Amino acid sequence: MRWNAGRLRLAAATLAFGLTAGPQANAETPPPPPRAPAVVYAKTCGYCHGQHVAPVIRGRAIPTEMTTAIVRRGQRAMPAFRPTEISNAELGALAAWLKAAKADPKEHDQ
Amino acid sequence: MTGLTRRDLIRTGAVGAALMGSGAMASPLDGPRQLPAHLDKGAFAAAVAELRAVVGADWVFADPESTLPYAKSSTPDPRHEHVPSGAVAPGSVEEVQAILKIANRYKLPLWTVSTGKNMGYGCATPASSGQMVLDLKRMNRIIHIDAELGTALVEPGVTYQDLHDYLEANNLPYWLDVPTVGPIVSPVGNTLERGVGYTPYGDHFFMQCGMEVVLADGTLVRTGMGSVPNSTTWQAFKWGYGPYVDGIFTQSNFGVVTKLGFWLMPRPPAFKPFMVRHGEMADVAKIVDAMRPFRMSNLIPNVVLMMGAAYQIAMFHRREELWDKPESIPEDVVRDFARKHGLGMWNTYFALYGTDEIIAAIEPIVRRAFEASGGEVLTEKEMAGNLWFEHHKNLMSGQLTLEEKGIMRWRGGGMVCFAPVAPAKGVETQQQTQLAREILGRYGFDYSVAYAIGGRELHHLIFIQYDKEDPAEEKKADDCIREMITRFGARGWASYRTGVNTMDLVAQQYGEANRALNARLKQALDPNHILSPGKQGIA
Ligand SMILES: Cc1cc2nc3c(=O)[nH]c(=O)nc-3n(C[C@H](O)[C@H](O)[C@H](O)COP(=O)(O)OP(=O)(O)OC[C@H]3O[C@@H](n4cnc5c(N)ncnc54)[C@H](O)[C@@H]3O)c2cc1C
Ligand code: HEC
Repeated sequence: MRWNAGRLRLAAATLAFGLTAGPQANAETPPPPPRAPAVVYAKTCGYCHGQHVAPVIRGRAIPTEMTTAIVRRGQRAMPAFRPTEISNAELGALAAWLKAAKADPKEHDQ
Repeated sequence: MTGLTRRDLIRTGAVGAALMGSGAMASPLDGPRQLPAHLDKGAFAAAVAELRAVVGADWVFADPESTLPYAKSSTPDPRHEHVPSGAVAPGSVEEVQAILKIANRYKLPLWTVSTGKNMGYGCATPASSGQMVLDLKRMNRIIHIDAELGTALVEPGVTYQDLHDYLEANNLPYWLDVPTVGPIVSPVGNTLERGVGYTPYGDHFFMQCGMEVVLADGTLVRTGMGSVPNSTTWQAFKWGYGPYVDGIFTQSNFGVVTKLGFWLMPRPPAFKPFMVRHGEMADVAKIVDAMRPFRMSNLIPNVVLMMGAAYQIAMFHRREELWDKPESIPEDVVRDFARKHGLGMWNTYFALYGTDEIIAAIEPIVRRAFEASGGEVLTEKEMAGNLWFEHHKNLMSGQLTLEEKGIMRWRGGGMVCFAPVAPAKGVETQQQTQLAREILGRYGFDYSVAYAIGGRELHHLIFIQYDKEDPAEEKKADDCIREMITRFGARGWASYRTGVNTMDLVAQQYGEANRALNARLKQALDPNHILSPGKQGIA
């Protein structure tokens, strides 16, 4: 099997191209669309938050600037996430989504 | 819980301070030491401008704010020796080559990372301050999966999560082998560090097959069968023809790996996870001696984890729940808390794979041996629903989790890993455990460990947890790991891998002849020393 790169990026839900790709960026592969906030949450944040590992962060109306600052800097035990991992557009949408998100009773604190 | 209060913001330390505009946060470019020592500001700015022309302005990070995510690390850095000058993130092999050309011209040192989550060993931070991080995360294509041979060829930015989603979406009958931090890390970064996972494919470099490397002068090399025109065996046969060179690109700074091949484990028809519970710290020798013949004969085929109680507790519980004093937690406090949660002082996780018949034939032999060692042999029948059992069941079947990241919270986010190798002999592992506890005890740290058991050796993974926000604690953690490395070294026990702050110290233990050989290779392949200077003690 040989996989078309464009299709594959979608299938693998991979990452993070900004709006301006560099002059020599792979011209034949268009940047993948940003991932939806719920997808970023499920595939990154949700492995720790609400899983006995890190505090519950849904349903707390956490200010958006707080989320973006913590994700980019990494707070204490939390690793930082770079724009190459979670693009600025994805992070902005994630922070807004998180602020509005309801608590999930299936999640555990700490 | 409602929204965050001002107190919450204060509690978040530096982040909160920044949000409140106090400006108290140290910037990574404060002071000239964070720029490459031999480049003045003007030359650095000129190099940055050229890098922007290659990758686009969005993918060069050269101001304090945008460099912050690259500077985050849990390892101690009391003297600020591991502060990057910025980062550049290429999107293709051609861009990597163009970047190296610029770096050679300016003598700009570049610290290569794939996903940059080398946690406990420095994350994305460089071996010396001023290096610019060469962040390959954007190169994230799964280039080829051979559904018949069960092989993968991927770029550095592909995470285990990406691969997992891909195998699922395409319904491919293979398992991944993941380190305990799979979702956010990469097969390329992990394999190049010679990291481990916990299925029968757990020794990642062993399962690696073929790579593509950009050398410092821009030359593109494919190892093994990969340089044969129209080759169809690049990911099928490791050794190629002539000298086998893949090893020199692991744990090294001899090239930038842009593609890596490796094997996938066929999904077995049956899988049965086990836990063996032992009640005393001193049981370590008996467990290792009982395990050795099974790992040597491959009757137990996976990389086995023998988990210390304190490490297991730290995954899901906080230190204050057990102990509120600065000294190391006493053994009986740990033992009591563990017992309440179905854990022993040592919890050994292995699995059998194959068919129901194969498993039924092996199980009684293994059971007898571990019962004779004084352990309780437990399965899903007794342990289903136990958080720790479920966690290790997931790991041994290649599932993704970040649950072990919980251990980072034990003492305020600081953690550095000391990882000496022990032979699979009970007496010596017992001695290592004793020595580690003695040293940690004097610093007031807890003995929080996992032994990963390979064929004939164990990685003794000692996680030194400390409060990174307290400079005195940070200094203590740095002193502690140095003492551990030195005193273990005096006994002939050296690390399989180490963090950026101790790379040179460990390299010294491997001796002058070894260092000189590495130095000659480096000089031949990268005469300007632009690639990750200091990596594994190689200048
Ligand atoms: C709680 C906890 C549990 C952990 N469990 C495990 C575990 O089970 N198994 C395990 O192996 N590790 C484990 N780790 C350590 C670490 O997080 C992983 O090894 C991780 O995979 C390394 O990060 P990465 O994949 O992002 O690699 P990166 O950080 O991208 O790379 C690691 C290093 O490899 C070199 N490198 C990377 N890419 C390239 C390239 N393309 N070319 C040349 N050189 C390159 C660089 O020197 C780089 O610093 C654990 C850490 C913690 C905190
Ligand atoms: C590897 C585990 C891990 C991942 C993945 C992770 N976090 Fe965290 N996060 C933590 C931990 C641990 C803390 C608590 C840090 C501390 O103060 O010790 C935390 C704290 C936070 C806080 C502050 C909560 C509070 O009550 O103070 C926010 C907000 C947050 N994280 C957001 C996110 C978002 C958004 C993501 C996904 C992009 C994410 N985190 C991914 C581990 C993680």
